[in-house]
Amino acid sequence: MKHNLKFISELIKFRLSHIMTFRLGFFAPFFINTSYFLVQLFAFEAIYGHVDSIRGWGHGEILIFIGTFSLIDALNMTICFFGVISIPEKIQTGELDLYLTKPVNPLLRITFEKVDPGAIPLLIFSACIALYGVRESGANLSYANIIGYLFLVLLMTILYYDMELLIRCFAFFVFSVDNLMKIENTAVDLCLKIPGIAFYGIYKFVFYCVLPYGIIATLPTQAVTGALSAKGFLFGVAIVCIFTFFALSFWTYGVHRYESASS
Amino acid sequence: MKIIETENLTKKYKRYKKQEGLAGSIKGLFHRKYEEKIAVDDFDIHVNEGEFVGLIGPNGAGKTTLVKMLTGIIAPTSGRIQVMGFYPNKLEKAFKQQYAVVMGQKSQLFFELTTEDTLRLFKEIYGIPEDEYKRNKDFFVDLFQVQGLMNVQVRTLSLGERMKMELIVALLHNPKILFLDEPTIGLDAVAGKQIRTFLKDVNESRGTTILLTSHYMEDIKVLCKRSIVVNHGRKIYDGGTDMLFENYQKSKKMTIYFEHSVEPDVPDDCRVLEKANDKLVLEIPKQNAEKVLESYIGHYPIRDIGIEEEEIGSVVERIYKEV
Repeated sequence: MKHNLKFISELIKFRLSHIMTFRLGFFAPFFINTSYFLVQLFAFEAIYGHVDSIRGWGHGEILIFIGTFSLIDALNMTICFFGVISIPEKIQTGELDLYLTKPVNPLLRITFEKVDPGAIPLLIFSACIALYGVRESGANLSYANIIGYLFLVLLMTILYYDMELLIRCFAFFVFSVDNLMKIENTAVDLCLKIPGIAFYGIYKFVFYCVLPYGIIATLPTQAVTGALSAKGFLFGVAIVCIFTFFALSFWTYGVHRYESASS
Repeated sequence: MKIIETENLTKKYKRYKKQEGLAGSIKGLFHRKYEEKIAVDDFDIHVNEGEFVGLIGPNGAGKTTLVKMLTGIIAPTSGRIQVMGFYPNKLEKAFKQQYAVVMGQKSQLFFELTTEDTLRLFKEIYGIPEDEYKRNKDFFVDLFQVQGLMNVQVRTLSLGERMKMELIVALLHNPKILFLDEPTIGLDAVAGKQIRTFLKDVNESRGTTILLTSHYMEDIKVLCKRSIVVNHGRKIYDGGTDMLFENYQKSKKMTIYFEHSVEPDVPDDCRVLEKANDKLVLEIPKQNAEKVLESYIGHYPIRDIGIEEEEIGSVVERIYKEV
């Protein structure tokens, strides 16, 4: 554990040195990510500015939801997104060979090797939106609600990562995962715009249990507003445990069936 | 003491056999035909600690697949495999801590950063203590005389310099076994020679077991006392490198550049491979090489001469016919 933490810290320092080699490459993402965030925010305002309530959620809850989804997305982008999305290419080109022959967990290395400080402003903006939403909603904040919210944000960041990993591990077995990634993008896009509480029936099952993007920002929002039941909380924890287990097992299974690429 | 052992090691791949044209592609959607490709076939190999073994064979012979199985990158289809007492594809940390692999066509260096940066990262990967790290780095940097190159961006290094850095990175943690897959590929004669001298030194001074795959006969001849020749996934020769060259290398390739256009005589036992106004390329029986060389030097104005070992494919073909 200590060795892994030291390795991750060295990897992050290494990555920062790497991206600082190119000044434009270092500064441009701050500007691009901020612009992207503002465009999304305007789009949400255009949609929800004229909606009073969605299944009991008012404007404040919707703002918490949007801020929370953006926060989890930004955490993902800062920490692991660019590493995880490189998995299919590493498998197809045989670059994974070099990771498998080193005495550190290859997944740990891939996950943390491409941290992106360019997404840090998004973290701050997203937190501000969520805080503004809390004020708007008039929710009574208790320590339990805040701790529950932060804990669920952490869990949902892991769930988001699990989903990314699961989809990209298919590259061990099929030639291209592009179409799977299209499904992923569509589902994320949809669940970023529509809170999970709006789904019911088969849609709820799909977006809560199969492609669980529907719970990613919904459960933390419910936690901070005090609307999350114990059953809902346990459901969230169980889904994260199940998907983490599947994602790591699928990765291990893929690695042991990896055929490398012809040299 | 045996450090690498395999018995009946086999690796098979299944590959899709596509029929010709669009009609074939459509058929393939519903009824697919596969063929089995045996990359490594019933392979037995035993390597002792401290040995420097050459693995020779033409493209597609199975050399790289064998190295990938020995390093745990891929799992064998069947057979027994043991490297330093480990089953490689279990990918245990203790196992990976004790070997290094250098693939001539895949770099471990980070092109935008310096070698010094990469070494720092590898220090953490292998958990090397600071004093051991410094000692090893200084030793290899000194051996290669690359003090001035450690702090320049890797992308600005020449191919030869880059390969030296690859080797330093690979050897930093004092591996017991070094797997080298075509380390001199694309290098010029001077760089190739420097790499060979370095490897010889590492093998002798540190006792590192080295398994070298190469297309270049020169690499094998200079470095490896023992050679294993592979073709179609099977071992067709395992023995002394001297014996291999003595028995199966029958000719040499001589390239002569004349000062001006000439019509040179060609001895009966030589085969002309290429002929231009001022250039002649001959295949000469190995035992007559010296005599032919002297005769050309004595009779024609010569600008340059190069003598190369017979290419690996011909030697393999000859062994293959005899066994």
